[in-house]
Amino acid sequence: MTLSAAAGETLLAFADDEHLMGQQHTEWIGVAPFLEEDLAFSSIAQDELGHAASLYSLLGDPDALAYRPPVEYRSCHLVELPAPDWADALVRHWLYDLAEPRRWAALQGSSVVEVAALVARAEREETYHRRHAGALLTRMRDSSSADRIGAALDALLPFADALWEPVAGEADAVAEGVVTASSAELRTAWRSDVEAVVGPVAWDTFTSPDQQARSRRSDHFAALHARISEVIALDPTATW
Amino acid sequence: MRVYEVFLKRDGKEEFRHAGSLEAADDDLALLLARETYARRAEGDQLWLVDRAHVVEAEPGFTAPNTDKPHRHNSGALVAEHRKAARQAGS
Repeated sequence: MTLSAAAGETLLAFADDEHLMGQQHTEWIGVAPFLEEDLAFSSIAQDELGHAASLYSLLGDPDALAYRPPVEYRSCHLVELPAPDWADALVRHWLYDLAEPRRWAALQGSSVVEVAALVARAEREETYHRRHAGALLTRMRDSSSADRIGAALDALLPFADALWEPVAGEADAVAEGVVTASSAELRTAWRSDVEAVVGPVAWDTFTSPDQQARSRRSDHFAALHARISEVIALDPTATW
Repeated sequence: MRVYEVFLKRDGKEEFRHAGSLEAADDDLALLLARETYARRAEGDQLWLVDRAHVVEAEPGFTAPNTDKPHRHNSGALVAEHRKAARQAGS
């Protein structure tokens, strides 16, 4: 399959987000607040890694793409942040998975038929992710943990909003029909989804992370990259 | 927290079977957690949850007296034997 540079960059950005979100979620295996949540969150992590693998596979060798040099990643900073507190992990899970249906829907009618073919399966899994995150978030906001959730929302909303910062060639990818909506359009819809749950948000007051069209890595990336590359660095021929 | 009993059924003629139990704060969370705790490896196509508080339970010993009534365990083998003998005698 031959893809334009713009199409490749746009799909890579989504794949990298899915990959790193999955990797971050896996860090809760064994230490989530209770056993059943441990299993649920780990399953969600595996789903995201699966989506990343499917997207990478359309673009090249999935292992080579997943573990390429840091400068080549196109992830947003939201998925690069550490979340050592469960409140942060849950809020990020909710904000990220609220964006997923918008992102997958924009691939539904993609001119790249191999991408469009991934949507139905991914959306079935994402429906569960969204329901899981929403149910926990709603109850936590209504509990003695409300302050912690509120603080996590304040800290993470600017990063989540910056998830919609496009890669350099996105306009071309939209023109080619690779994605059927621009990040700017998807952001508007997502902001309404967020506000429907947490109320009005002062989006204009946010200081956006310096992502430079997703070409610049955050300060947290190096440690994350070292962690996820541990096995492949030890044994480059390792297989799953 | 409430305790839920989890039942799973595969598509087809198989009946619902007890898979285990879990604790959850309410019905919706119980469903969300049961899905991954008991059905993440496609163990079932349909899922039932029963709040344990709604289970009607017999007191211990309630069902025991039946064990010493061998006449209720007739397999039909004796009758079958008699009928076979009668058929052979008649032919």
